[in-house]
Amino acid sequence: MVTTIKNNPLPDYIAMVVIFLMAVGTVFVFSAGANIGRELDLQRFYDFPGLRQILFFPLAVTVMYAVSCFNYRKFSLADGWLKSPAGFLLVLSLVLLIVVLFPQFGTEINRARRWLRISIGPVTISFQPSELAKWSIVFFLAAVCDKFGNSIRLYWKRFVPAFLVIALVAGLVITEDFGTAVFISLLGFLMLIISGAKLWHILTPLPFAAIAFCAALIRSPSRMQRIAAFLNPQKWADSAAYQANQSLIALGSGGLLGKGLGKGICKYGHLPEDTTDFIFAIIGEELGFVGTATVIGLFIVFVWLGILVVVRCRDRLGQLLAGGIVLTIAIQAALNIGVATVVLPTKGIPLPFVSAGGTSMLLCAAAVGVLLNIAKQTGIKNSAAENAENVQLKIEN
Amino acid sequence: MKSVRFITIFLLFLIAAFLLLAGRCFYLQFLRNDYYYSISTKQQQKRTTQKPQRGVILDCRGRVLAASNKIQTIFAEPRIIKRPKSISTKLAPIMDMGAHEICKLITESKNPGFVKIKVGAEPNQCTAAGKIYGIGVQSDWQRYYPMGPLAAHVVGFTSVDNQGLGGIELQYDKELAGSAGQNTFFADSLRRPIRLKQQSSVLSDGVGIILTLDATIQQFARAELLKQYESYEAESAVAIVAEPATGAILAMVSLPCFDPNDIRSAEPNNLRNRAITDQFEPGSLLKPIAAAIAIDAGVVEPNEKIFCEYGNYRGKGFGRIGEYGDHRFGNLTVRQILVRSSNIGMAKIGQRTGKETLYRGLKLFGFGQKTGIDLPGEADGLLWPVKKWTGYSITRIPFGQEISVTAIQLVRAFCVLANGGRPVRPFLVKAMVGNDGQLVARRSSLVARAASHGARVTGHESRNRASAVGFIIKPEVARWIVTDALVGVVNEGTGRKAALEKWQVFGKTGTAQLAKSESRGYSDSDYVASFIAGAPARNPAVVVLVSIRKPNIKLGKGYTGGTVAAPVVAKILERTLNYLENRGL
Repeated sequence: MVTTIKNNPLPDYIAMVVIFLMAVGTVFVFSAGANIGRELDLQRFYDFPGLRQILFFPLAVTVMYAVSCFNYRKFSLADGWLKSPAGFLLVLSLVLLIVVLFPQFGTEINRARRWLRISIGPVTISFQPSELAKWSIVFFLAAVCDKFGNSIRLYWKRFVPAFLVIALVAGLVITEDFGTAVFISLLGFLMLIISGAKLWHILTPLPFAAIAFCAALIRSPSRMQRIAAFLNPQKWADSAAYQANQSLIALGSGGLLGKGLGKGICKYGHLPEDTTDFIFAIIGEELGFVGTATVIGLFIVFVWLGILVVVRCRDRLGQLLAGGIVLTIAIQAALNIGVATVVLPTKGIPLPFVSAGGTSMLLCAAAVGVLLNIAKQTGIKNSAAENAENVQLKIEN
Repeated sequence: MKSVRFITIFLLFLIAAFLLLAGRCFYLQFLRNDYYYSISTKQQQKRTTQKPQRGVILDCRGRVLAASNKIQTIFAEPRIIKRPKSISTKLAPIMDMGAHEICKLITESKNPGFVKIKVGAEPNQCTAAGKIYGIGVQSDWQRYYPMGPLAAHVVGFTSVDNQGLGGIELQYDKELAGSAGQNTFFADSLRRPIRLKQQSSVLSDGVGIILTLDATIQQFARAELLKQYESYEAESAVAIVAEPATGAILAMVSLPCFDPNDIRSAEPNNLRNRAITDQFEPGSLLKPIAAAIAIDAGVVEPNEKIFCEYGNYRGKGFGRIGEYGDHRFGNLTVRQILVRSSNIGMAKIGQRTGKETLYRGLKLFGFGQKTGIDLPGEADGLLWPVKKWTGYSITRIPFGQEISVTAIQLVRAFCVLANGGRPVRPFLVKAMVGNDGQLVARRSSLVARAASHGARVTGHESRNRASAVGFIIKPEVARWIVTDALVGVVNEGTGRKAALEKWQVFGKTGTAQLAKSESRGYSDSDYVASFIAGAPARNPAVVVLVSIRKPNIKLGKGYTGGTVAAPVVAKILERTLNYLENRGL
């Protein structure tokens, strides 16, 4: 039934761009993980983010390929709520989000309980449920909006329940991870907008969101400080704006061609979070503007290919899923680069495919896998797509 | 297809955002590159200084007089230590010190950034202590002097930060110090070096200095001098042993002395090398020089008889001159004047010589000016220019009054006599040797550098060259003074206590009265007892001067040069000549 058209190069291009980004990421996580206090020890390679990333890279590619063979239309809710993985994914992430809040299971890192740690033999795998929750929201909303089609315009019957799902997930996340919660809500609303919800519907919960936002800001002095530091970086250069300042130094000292791969200095303790949130600054330091422009260029190509997938896709579920996936990844990348270049206040968002971090990388790879599957099927009119279109037409009629 | 349009619009927005971010990167990385680069170098680099090893100072046979060793110092940084007690408790077992002792050091430190806990720590102590927060290890060079006070005044001493402060250490400080290595490293946030950025200067250790001093001879001289110095309860004493042919100083002792290893507890007054800094009226020691000048000028014949006025010579313009010990000499030959040390005879010789000739002669012998020995702080001595001479001067200077000299000047003058009238310049540094064992500088270039009067080169082949410089007095006059007159002093005159069986010694005694400090005239109880001698008379190998200042006259053991100084000279001569003979020189 599903046949790949040989002369459709779109999925190959997407895979190439993503794998290239992952390769860049692996190299730079390894480079930024350099530490003069510790030598690499292959016996305990899992303790080193640089070595860990070398393991995750092929794993992520494998996951991406495996998921790309899985027909994305299985996410459709058309056959009933219990037939689609999207719903299970959402339930699973809700359960994990609740579990992580209990001290017995959740692990605190940097004063936030965001990680689940599972020990397998000598290796401890850390897992961040909020990452999963983010993707489950995208998939779930895409599936729901596909199922209900244009009836999403109905305020009470369709919009409010969808909004409540977003609010529930965001509410669970917000206690420990403010930024991700905001990001999840933003994604949720974007999904609702692109699936055709009315604009004034979207505006109604905004006052509540604004109040929640302000309350969260006021309750946490560190967040206030970060905002203040962003507005006046010179004054806080040694405290709250330290990271931002160091990031600027790393980027700025790189120049046009950079200091050379592996020859950066900022990664030796000057720039914190160098393998995760600020890896972009390390790329800028070591490869200069050429490096940063290449990374940004790759993301632009990725978004452009995403647009092509969405435009070519004849199926509403495919469009929504592809749009959601590309949006999620691109917004994250833009936010991360914005933070690294100090256009935005400091916020811990990883750079997709590039930053160290297994959860983020594997889930992004899986999401791209879905995107690849959609891309493979573009231009094919099959019965399922026709059915979907028929349903749509009926509703419009 | 509303959704597609929305998605496309959103994604195009994102592409625009990416392009703006790329623009931002361009701004930061290209346009503001210089600004951020300068900030980054400020915070990301660390300068380190490698301290050079200070050069060794060796005696002429390679025995170590001064050397620098690397020592580890364990220190604390009090300002970053919050709980001195717990740190001290941790540190105590490692250092084998009391915890309260360490705690006291830390809390009472005046410098908030640095307090020494232990100097010269063991490697394992350093490893263990370095792991404790707030405790650091620093390696330093420490100067040590294995021979202690033996040659302290010649070798000198250094400050805590290895700066030469005295003696050879000061004179050749630049050469000994070497130059530090300056490196700039990229540093991590804890200021640990990552890799080299720039090497602005290369570490170069100091050069080693080989002295003419022989530690064995130095030991002879010091031991003998110390014995006499103590038994006569003298104020101070100096001894110099020199090689007349070259001017090489074989030993130089100044008492009281100090231990360069423990400079803090030294009496500041004892730090100076009295052999070159202290001036005194030489008394009779000057007589052979003045006589040599007179004979050389042809105003007297060696065997000419001079009437010595029966011990009472007075005249208009020069007052009254008496003899030491109230001798009443009649006619004496020049030789007898020297042997019996007649003041009146010398005064008459002086009168015959004349002011100009005497002044020029003394100047040529090196009085009234530095000898140029390679030690700091040398005194000029005092020889008034002729126009300042009074009527007394021409009669007093020939027997060593109205002139101030240093011990080294006297040694030099006698070396000239012993060397057949050739100029001699005393020196201490034989050679400088680099770390690779290569000769950096020989005596000759050192002399050239010092470039002053009477330059001389060591070594046998260079003797001929030295003769080209000329003679201060005729060789035969010098030979007559040494082998006839001064031999007579030892064999039959005032210097009998310096006679040796094995070698013919020549010498001259000197007992100078010290001028009163409060009033005019000379003191009756304060003398400088000196004796200068050389042996063997035919071909002098060494010249030895011993000068003992203010021997305690109340002990009743005597105070003259012949009594106090001559026996010391004899012992030094005997031991030194035996030693040199056995050494094969």
